[in-house]
Amino acid sequence: MSLSLNEVEATAKRAARGAGYPWGLAEEAAKATRWLCAHDFDGCAALAGLLQKVDGTDVANWSPVPGGGVWNAADGALCPLATGTAISDRAHEGAANCIRLGGIAHPILLAPFAALLAQQVGQTVTLELPGAKLSTDGDEIGLNGTISEASPWASVGFGGTVGRPKQRCHRAQPDPCAWTTLATYAHRTYAPATEESRLKGAGAGLTDND
Amino acid sequence: MNANAPHIARRDPAQVMTLRRLGSLHQCRLSFMRILTRRMANEAWSFSRPLFEIDASGVGQAVYTATGPSRSYSLVAFAHDLPDELRSDRVIAEAWDATFALFDGIPTQDDIDRLSQNVPLQEAGRVSENELSLSRANRSVRLWTHVVDALAAGRQPDQRMIDNVGYLMRTTAVYGSGKFGAADREDIADRPEMHAPFQAEMLSVYLTRTFVRDLVQHMARAKGGDRSADLDPAIARRLGIGNSTGLGMAPFIVNHPVLFNNWIMAREEAISRVRSLRSATPEAKSTFLEKLARSEISVARWTSEHPVQIDKLADLHRDLGDLRTYVDQGHLDGPDPWDRLFTWAEGALCEEGQELVASLILEPYSEIVDGLANCMADSNTDAFRIDGSMRVAEVRDLIETSFGWALGTDWQSRRNCARAWYVSAEKLEPRLGERFDEPIADYEQPLAPARDAARAFEALSGWDDNVPIAGFLLKHPEHRHTIRRAQISRIAPYGEIRDNTIAEDVMPIDMLRAKLSFFGATHFDPRSDRWVRICMYAGAPYPEELVPENADDWVYPELPA
Repeated sequence: MSLSLNEVEATAKRAARGAGYPWGLAEEAAKATRWLCAHDFDGCAALAGLLQKVDGTDVANWSPVPGGGVWNAADGALCPLATGTAISDRAHEGAANCIRLGGIAHPILLAPFAALLAQQVGQTVTLELPGAKLSTDGDEIGLNGTISEASPWASVGFGGTVGRPKQRCHRAQPDPCAWTTLATYAHRTYAPATEESRLKGAGAGLTDND
Repeated sequence: MNANAPHIARRDPAQVMTLRRLGSLHQCRLSFMRILTRRMANEAWSFSRPLFEIDASGVGQAVYTATGPSRSYSLVAFAHDLPDELRSDRVIAEAWDATFALFDGIPTQDDIDRLSQNVPLQEAGRVSENELSLSRANRSVRLWTHVVDALAAGRQPDQRMIDNVGYLMRTTAVYGSGKFGAADREDIADRPEMHAPFQAEMLSVYLTRTFVRDLVQHMARAKGGDRSADLDPAIARRLGIGNSTGLGMAPFIVNHPVLFNNWIMAREEAISRVRSLRSATPEAKSTFLEKLARSEISVARWTSEHPVQIDKLADLHRDLGDLRTYVDQGHLDGPDPWDRLFTWAEGALCEEGQELVASLILEPYSEIVDGLANCMADSNTDAFRIDGSMRVAEVRDLIETSFGWALGTDWQSRRNCARAWYVSAEKLEPRLGERFDEPIADYEQPLAPARDAARAFEALSGWDDNVPIAGFLLKHPEHRHTIRRAQISRIAPYGEIRDNTIAEDVMPIDMLRAKLSFFGATHFDPRSDRWVRICMYAGAPYPEELVPENADDWVYPELPA
């Protein structure tokens, strides 16, 4: 299935909302998923995997508690969306900082936020994980190694080189199961139809068949 | 010409962005249909109809190709034989009289075959990155039958009936920008002819109008044979394409604050430039007076059954009378003619009249207005990124600038939050419901920026002015979308509607009208508080007639000879 990136973004936003994220983070999830797909990663599979873990839990428990040596979640693994936004939001805190993260789910979803950080400071940012390194200048991204679905630690710091950049894509071909998962979460944001909503909600008014 | 910077400032967003005013906007030189026809004429685009295979019952397919300096675009049209009882413009419909895709280039037979399996299904089908839009149209049954019967009998159709309806077919949704698998806007936005907003969609409707004219002629010939008459080109010219627009457009302008800002700001900049002119040449005055006279004809033909629009039209008729008196008294002859006219209008006319004046004064000044069309797209992808270093005090200021009026509102009061926007599971369409009467609150879409701004402002109350907003965002991710909008308002001062979009008495048609006026629509006819009918391209030259001389002012009806 060949999807437009706008379809990816629209569905990802609704899916993240359906799984319990507030709208602002759902918007971030959508842009991040789109960015990954545009850089030849299956962003939809990453987001679907994350939503399956987060669904039914309190999203706040996955948020990082910055400061000190290592950022950790209040309870269990870090959410890459909450963590990524917090990293990008703190771009002003200085180019010398290297942020160390504890256990994190679907760390590939940090990559788009690393790119946002790189754009803001005008330097290459490297995301390091056990067995993988991702470097981005904010536009292109290069990957060395393999990224797993969960990581016991990660670090985000300045420096590194992009190397051979990932191919740019203007369509997405996500794993069909992941896409179905996103669609299922997105569906939760839709109000079940009632006769009243059918008649009033769309505003029938005068006849349209003349 | 005054080459200096305008000394009259753009109007205050607080004045411009109320729903009442947005619901009174009129088309102008910067309307998307006019941008398209100007370009096609100036670049001498060529048009062809490489395929027209429609049988006597009106079923078949056709292709219309438009070719500009660098590329071709083709409307692929499918005509259907739709039983009357299935005909509905509502998005819940599942069949239509005609369905269309705008193909990027010239389609092969394989492309047409692929599209024939998908386009007639509309939302239930898929298109590809080779398509730029997907749309459908239904006949106006009464006018279609009349025109076919008249032509088949060798007569011209009745001009009064043509004017009463205005179109042979009306489109409903015209989906673009990646919907249902089509190419993303980003894929075509760099092309000069697609840079201004909605140019693919506008081209699709322009070619649809030609197809509809050809189809009605074809059906008349099939019925009347040799006796049948050819539709008088003057009558054909008066026919537009109708459009029924529902709630989908209202969320669009809330969800695209930078884009919407760019439309409004371009028009406001044009108004400020013209108001700043120290004098008007005889030619400029003459152009204005001609367009005013033609507007009088257009407004006289504008009818509606909706009580709100009936009242607004009565006000507009009165305003036009007052405006005529004002200009006949020679007020355009002195210094600062346009600013004096505008200032007079602000004191003397209702919003409909004021906004008509605002659009009309742009007409004589293509050289200082038309270039602003290049500023109407949204290419600022950085606007989404939040600046976490912004101090809390500055965020507060931004919220107060856009939503100061909303901070004292009692958002618990039933009448201030009576409505909720949601998306229906049935057709994935935006709807507006009654929060306290229907089980929809849990599904509410973030389309009440004013209420959300008030909430965020309250949550910020305990925060030190000088700390970066990043800390607040981590603690309160539920306000992230609001902080983003507040920061966007720095570059998009006209991006926020300065009214309550969930109030008990909100009129969504005001939001629809604002968007449709930028398309270039006229004769807005609300059919309820939530959907509106309009006419597009009425008066426009058909492809074989299009030249620079008629490419721009067709929206104004011709003066009687």
